[in-house]
Amino acid sequence: MILCEDLSKIYTLGAVQVHALRDVSLTIEKGEFIGIMGSSGSGKSTLLHMLGLLDHPSRGSITLAGTDVGTLTEDERTLFRLNNLGYVFQDYALISELSVLENVCLPCLVRGTPRGECIPASTEILSSVGLGDRINHLYHELSGGQQQRVSIARALVNKPRILFADEPCANLDSETSRNILELFRQLNQELKQTIVMVSHEPWHTEYFDRVITLRDGEVVAS
Amino acid sequence: MASTLRVSAHLALRGLQRGNRFTTVLTVLIIALVFIMLCFQPSLNAGIISAVNNQIIDYSFGNIVVEPKEHQVYIDHAAGLKKKIDRIPGVVASTPEYKLGATYTFKDTQYSGPLYAIDPSDARPVLRTHTKMLSGEFLSDGDRGQIVLGAILAGNKDQKLDKVKALRGAQVGDTVDVAYSNGVVRSYRVKGIYATDSLSADMSAVITREEAESVTGLSDKASLILIRLSPSVDENAFKTTLMQYGVQEPVKTWSEEAGAFMTDTAKTFEALNAIMTIFYLLFASIVVFIVVYINTTNKRKQIAIMKAIGIKREIIINDYLIQVLVLCGIGIILGLMLFLLQTQAMTANPVRFPSMGVVTPVVSLSLITSGILDLLVVSFIAGYIPAWTTTREEILDGMRG
Repeated sequence: MILCEDLSKIYTLGAVQVHALRDVSLTIEKGEFIGIMGSSGSGKSTLLHMLGLLDHPSRGSITLAGTDVGTLTEDERTLFRLNNLGYVFQDYALISELSVLENVCLPCLVRGTPRGECIPASTEILSSVGLGDRINHLYHELSGGQQQRVSIARALVNKPRILFADEPCANLDSETSRNILELFRQLNQELKQTIVMVSHEPWHTEYFDRVITLRDGEVVAS
Repeated sequence: MASTLRVSAHLALRGLQRGNRFTTVLTVLIIALVFIMLCFQPSLNAGIISAVNNQIIDYSFGNIVVEPKEHQVYIDHAAGLKKKIDRIPGVVASTPEYKLGATYTFKDTQYSGPLYAIDPSDARPVLRTHTKMLSGEFLSDGDRGQIVLGAILAGNKDQKLDKVKALRGAQVGDTVDVAYSNGVVRSYRVKGIYATDSLSADMSAVITREEAESVTGLSDKASLILIRLSPSVDENAFKTTLMQYGVQEPVKTWSEEAGAFMTDTAKTFEALNAIMTIFYLLFASIVVFIVVYINTTNKRKQIAIMKAIGIKREIIINDYLIQVLVLCGIGIILGLMLFLLQTQAMTANPVRFPSMGVVTPVVSLSLITSGILDLLVVSFIAGYIPAWTTTREEILDGMRG
């Protein structure tokens, strides 16, 4: 499902070269719920960004769902993200002018799905994450946990092959975090949704099928 | 493509609905103001040109001028030629006229300027000077020993009020001496004073042709024959018609007779319009650019998120372009309404310009159309550049803000 080989990312800061990732090779199977963990600066977010096509590696290859994404043009990467990948960000990343329903509908509409199909599908997903009664609210009328649920619903609306989550519980209290992780677990178990999630909280490991641990840009355990 | 545009339109609509209202209203007002300026200045200039043109037609030349043949000072057989011209379809009337050089003396003041000699009843349908009497009366057929003076030539008792050094306040009933170029000097009673607002007309005087012929010894001649045409007749085409009817004398339209001055004036106003149009469009483009630039800069993170979840750059750029075009469209509609109201108000209460008379703005469809198109194109470009630039940013750079 996800295959990366010798993946490296080097940032150049003036005369200094920083190796954020060093020859990372890993495989993630379909339906796995993977946690990428490590201390701050270990390269976990960088790895997620590479796998999620939000950044380009300096070296190495990534194959997602059988596609060597290194060969894709910028427009093809955008389309690939739309059709195959879903994202949940640390700060929810909702579009401020859109209502809850419109935020969730957006990727569906962009994909070209008729409005008449997008709205029921989005409403259903929102109901499944417990926000069926909040669909016409604006994001600032919701709590942090509710906003993150909207973000998850938006990530799922196009039925992505892989869901990437970058520290989705970082801004949430423990109880809300647990609810979100329960939701991920449920999606993973019931829909066989592949999930790759970055976290630095040790207690999150109980939800993951497998943990990939990074230190100084290298995989130290997987 | 259609679904892409629909998504952009949806995002744009929400952006306008839920975005910063103050910025939205301010942008619309500025666009409206620019549109008014884009249309008002040229329409006023067109009004000024139209006023000056009408003055030349109404108080100096009529529509068409017949001149003496080459190397001749006067047109021969003026009465016969007038009759021939009057029979041509499209001619309202024609009038022969002498143009003489004269030195006017009133009390101890002298002034040299043109003196026109006309047949009053022939001239009335061609020129409108007789409708602009400030005091006294216009000439009648057969008047001898009488003169009507232009208001500037007559002057004021208080010289500070005079535009040129004139006759210091000659009035109806006063006697003005006129010295002709052949040495004859005649005294004339001032029968009337006219004020047309045309500088050249108001700096001259008028006597009857009978009076002029008694001074010059000329008979049945004319310096010019002025022709008034029906409004529907094309002046340039009529020149050919005159030739077809056997008129062999040189013929000019009023604008040709007025010469380079009129052409230069029109070109000056055109250049002024072009300069001001560029200035106003530059102003509009800077405003739109700043609004979109600030908008997109404030939303760098949001734009990056949209790209991250798979929204094409094209959709995001179109979102901002549609917002700009909607604001521009509302601004144009508001500006058009205000401009038409302003024009109506100025037509109902016309402004009197010195030496030009009453000026009202001349509104044309082409002026409004070009104003709309110019503003839309400029706004489109000014909106596109910042939207294009911001959406080029790397996703992670944008997300980090």
